[in-house]
Amino acid sequence: MPTVLIPPPYRGPTDGAAEIVVEGDSVLACLEAVGRKYPGFLDQVLTADGAVHRFVKLFQNGEQLDGDVLSVAVSEDDSIEILAAIAGG
Amino acid sequence: MSGPSGDKIIYVDMTNQTAEVKDFPEEWKLLGGRALSAKILTADCDPKCDPLGPDNVLVMAPGVLSGTAAPTSGRISIGAKSPLTGGIKEANTGGQPGQHLMKLGYRAIVVKGAPSDAEARYAVEINEDGVSVTSADAHKGKWNYTLCQDLHGQYPKTASFITCGPAGEARLSGASVATTDQDNRFPARHAARGGLGAVMGSKGLKYVMVDPGRASVRQPSDRKKFGELCKTYTKDYLDGPQMFKTGTSSVVPVANMLHTFPYKNRVEGQSPDAQTLDGARIVESFETRGGEMHNCMTGCIVKCSNVVHDAQGEYKTSALEFETLTLLGANCAVASWEDVADMDRLCDEVGLDTIETGAAIAVLMDAGQLEWGDAEAMKKLIAEIPELTDRGKAIGNGAVATGKFTGHHRVPHAKGQAIPAWDPRPLKATGVTYCTSPMGADHTAGLIVNPGLQPDQFAWESQKVQIVNAVCDSSGFCQFLQPNLDNIRDFYGALYGEEFSREAIHDQGWECLADEWAFNDAAGFGASDDVMAECLSKDPINGQVFDVPADIVAAARQRMPAQDDLFEAKASG
Repeated sequence: MPTVLIPPPYRGPTDGAAEIVVEGDSVLACLEAVGRKYPGFLDQVLTADGAVHRFVKLFQNGEQLDGDVLSVAVSEDDSIEILAAIAGG
Repeated sequence: MSGPSGDKIIYVDMTNQTAEVKDFPEEWKLLGGRALSAKILTADCDPKCDPLGPDNVLVMAPGVLSGTAAPTSGRISIGAKSPLTGGIKEANTGGQPGQHLMKLGYRAIVVKGAPSDAEARYAVEINEDGVSVTSADAHKGKWNYTLCQDLHGQYPKTASFITCGPAGEARLSGASVATTDQDNRFPARHAARGGLGAVMGSKGLKYVMVDPGRASVRQPSDRKKFGELCKTYTKDYLDGPQMFKTGTSSVVPVANMLHTFPYKNRVEGQSPDAQTLDGARIVESFETRGGEMHNCMTGCIVKCSNVVHDAQGEYKTSALEFETLTLLGANCAVASWEDVADMDRLCDEVGLDTIETGAAIAVLMDAGQLEWGDAEAMKKLIAEIPELTDRGKAIGNGAVATGKFTGHHRVPHAKGQAIPAWDPRPLKATGVTYCTSPMGADHTAGLIVNPGLQPDQFAWESQKVQIVNAVCDSSGFCQFLQPNLDNIRDFYGALYGEEFSREAIHDQGWECLADEWAFNDAAGFGASDDVMAECLSKDPINGQVFDVPADIVAAARQRMPAQDDLFEAKASG
């Protein structure tokens, strides 16, 4: 089953879990599966309209996704990684 | 070959305005920036001295890799005993002086003493011919941008500057040290935290001019390996997500979501104005006003600095950072990024830390002595600081001083230094850093944005990132490049043509912290000082207070065995 990799800033709702194995055949299905298990998670990644937040980047097996990223097909052994920029300045 | 050799160190005696150049000790070759500053202060500065007296020692030390072709590696550390915290302090900044000093082979400038005439101003001039101390009386009291504009006409175009604004001249504890950036040569980069500008001012030092002339890039011992490292590291970075390519100000929505975008002196963790303070608005303004992302120093591949223009398309400031938007914006209930940009420029002009200044004004507002969100009054207040009105002095001396001035109880700080944006209530491991770092409440000492951490992980996570950041801040690399310890030791190995083990780099990071803690202990600090301001332990945001037990806080100062994640952890600040 695919694995969703959670970045440290988003591990509040996942109680610290960094890797979550889910069932899903698309990026959106995988993210929603994490959201069902961990309430509050999905809001960190998607807007109220269901789009990916501007400040979030998604990767599939290490390759950055662009375009209609939520519709991208996901296979059994795939990993979906989420990145969010954090810095003070 | 053994790598760069013949390095020197400059000792300036401000009591009689002389400079002496000495050989840089060979055994210190892998000490730069923060670690070098700590080593010099431990050796040469009485920890019990008056921070604004002649016995304090001001260190300006570029990183080990500064002046080389390593990407984004030209940062310079400013160090001294802090007038704000009373402990050791290091703040580092970009711009060009770090690169220029190292191209000339100068590993540090150590400034001691003070002139007998407190009204006299001096400059240190450094070029290929040597070092001299000259009068700078003609520049007394000048704001930073005017000063640098005048200095540009006085010195060669190749020169860069380290300057002290009027807040530093007035010895205010929130004063910064400015450096000029690489393209416009504006004094827009600041070693801001801890009041090091006040130390510079107390020594009568208005500016340092560094002209590298035709000096070339520092050559490593193993040129082939060093070149390959530069190429590979740069390619990997540029092929990656480049999370900071629109600047740190783009972090606003994430921070707001995590309840660490403090509002109204931190009584809340989210601001209703997050949309209008979001750095995305700044990037959008580039299209109609001009402005752009740029690199503050030569060789930077991160380019996180935004150049902000006004509505007329004229330059206003750079860089407008997340921390500034938070402390001078949300924390004071200011809604407009443009107002914050005006205040950022004012702080750069006067030479003030935007974090400390914003936190101090929020205390003033919380005490009922200024209206929340009154940006125009804030601008007037910052501009009056050099006039040393009672209120201006309080703000210029920081949040704790403003708390005393107003009699207000809620002053969010640790060791006398205002809490930066990242809040220790939702981010408790970061709070452990604020309590235990020799630097006080400083996110660049060890930022951990992981609200899912369990209490038994706080001590190691804090210690780990404090070590990584100490090494990073000694290397010259910018934290936004996010190097890890393995990256840094690879570069060191190629620079000096010798293996630098994981154990050695772990030791170096720990030794830096140990030197700094030893300085603070000798200055009179104890375990009872490793605490958070009471308001952060009592007033919740999003239902959370800072409630980390003292034994967990104390554990972060006890050296733990290295785990593999130490070497993979990226610098984070």
